[in-house]
Amino acid sequence: MGNDPWSHWKAFAARSEQSQHNPFTPFLDSAESFAAAARKYLEDARHAPAAEEAARTFSHFLREQSMVFFQPPWSADATTGSAPWAAMLDAPALGLTREHQQRWQRTADAARRVGEAQRRLQCLWSDALRDAATAFAARVAASGIAIPSIGAPSVATLRSLYDSWIDCAEEAYAGTAHSDSFCNALADFVNASSQWRREFAASVEQWSKLMDLPTRSELNSLILRLKSAEEQLRAERQQHELRDAASKPRPTPRASRTRRAKRNPKS
Amino acid sequence: MTNAGLYAALAAANHCAAGCSPKDVVWQSGKLRLYRYRPTAQNTSQPSQGVPLLIVYALVNRPYMMDLQEDRSLIRGLLAQGLDIYLIDWGYPDGSDRFTTLTDYIDGLLAGCVEHILRTHRLDALNMLGVCQGGVFSLCFTALHPQRVRNLVTMVTPVDFHTPADLLSKWARKIDVAAWVSGGNISGDALNQLFLSLMPFRLAHQKYVELFMGAPSRAQIETFMRVEQWIFDSPDQAGAAFQEFVVWLYQENRLVRHQLEIAGRKIDLRALTLPVLNLIGSKDHLVPRDASAALERVVGSKDYTALEFALGHIGMYISARAQHEVPVAIARWLAAR
Repeated sequence: MGNDPWSHWKAFAARSEQSQHNPFTPFLDSAESFAAAARKYLEDARHAPAAEEAARTFSHFLREQSMVFFQPPWSADATTGSAPWAAMLDAPALGLTREHQQRWQRTADAARRVGEAQRRLQCLWSDALRDAATAFAARVAASGIAIPSIGAPSVATLRSLYDSWIDCAEEAYAGTAHSDSFCNALADFVNASSQWRREFAASVEQWSKLMDLPTRSELNSLILRLKSAEEQLRAERQQHELRDAASKPRPTPRASRTRRAKRNPKS
Repeated sequence: MTNAGLYAALAAANHCAAGCSPKDVVWQSGKLRLYRYRPTAQNTSQPSQGVPLLIVYALVNRPYMMDLQEDRSLIRGLLAQGLDIYLIDWGYPDGSDRFTTLTDYIDGLLAGCVEHILRTHRLDALNMLGVCQGGVFSLCFTALHPQRVRNLVTMVTPVDFHTPADLLSKWARKIDVAAWVSGGNISGDALNQLFLSLMPFRLAHQKYVELFMGAPSRAQIETFMRVEQWIFDSPDQAGAAFQEFVVWLYQENRLVRHQLEIAGRKIDLRALTLPVLNLIGSKDHLVPRDASAALERVVGSKDYTALEFALGHIGMYISARAQHEVPVAIARWLAAR
């Protein structure tokens, strides 16, 4: 594939066309890979020494799957650099539309970073839930909560199990939520989302100007002018009140008037 | 009660409005309303003869939590103690408030409320009760105008924003707040989501399960719905003030370092010499105990009292224990000064 925009566009169109013919392809692929991983786990888990490793491998596979599940289509291949989208993000900005192109590129890049951060958060959530489940199993085993083999467990038993699960989940989540990796992923998510919104708003402003509609920037300018005028008015009113207070007649008004008359006989 | 019955009871309780004590708007500026509460039946004496208590609530969430319902009302408790109560309702900021700063809130609106009350009562100073973020505002106001505040009570108020248990602070440190605000307001929904994320399993799941499993009475359902309303009735935050609050306090921890400036003047808590009562919730997940207790080591007052309650953030306002203990503690402490 050439590196010119037309080649990228043709590749993208072909890809879109292909996916239109079979929109279920991603789901089928996912189901097939899940079935393969599950089969492998069941085979390996039969043998005691390999069972633990098999569980770990399967758990890792599920974790990866959950990350892919939240991957938006435009960023699917972006990290590999092979997709037309990835190349378009880096396309040089030339000519009349370069400013608009750069804005779209920044918007697309921000969306890609939102997706990445979201997947990292999802991964950390997945780890927290795994830790919670492990802790919960250990706590139930240690507590000796009796679950009857016949008949339904009592409401009290269920309640106790539920509360234990919540405690384990909150503890595991707190451990993750306080970690640097979670704080960084959350900050990246918020920061990328903010950038995406800002770039998108800039595009909306561009279209609004073309349609001669009022924009948020114009409204902001007016609000700032109004605020400044209000502050000036308040300051002047305060000064006026201070002057009034300072020039208030003293308790003996007659004497005060007399003194003023003496100081300024013409008034 | 069956699930269907509970569902119907919850739907029927949708109408329950929070706020129960009679009050009057005595001053307003923009969206701000200053309320004065009428004396309760238990106390029909003339509370105005004493020094009034101004409650400064936070910008986050609505102030009716102070007066949720008859048996869950800090304000009713204070009125029953014979105190003359004023409450600030900051209102719901909209797009036109996006450039409102902390200086506007503290040295403009809050100062306006104080001036009105002092003029009404012909006093030089009043008593102030700051709640949560309102506590930070109260500390700042008192530092700016020490002659205007006679006694200061802070309640679940963060002072040190960098304590180890402070999850909100950890999350906020690396966020580009200027980009987040981006010249606009921060939506209340976004903040709700943030607060739920602090303890997602308890706040978004367990409390509902507890309600369903507890066979609640009608009164309990109504209380639940009022609290539910309060939790999610979150005003948008004026962008400029939000940005200043998060950057200066959550990120840079300026208050405890005596580096905060409001209205171009330094907020030095070491210069506060008035009596201070600090009410702390030791189970508070939003404002951790240590974040509040830090006030003791930074405030200059020699008359400092800290009272700790084994309660969470919301429990400090509406739990049964708080109803019995908090208003009495405040009234006794004020009466002794």
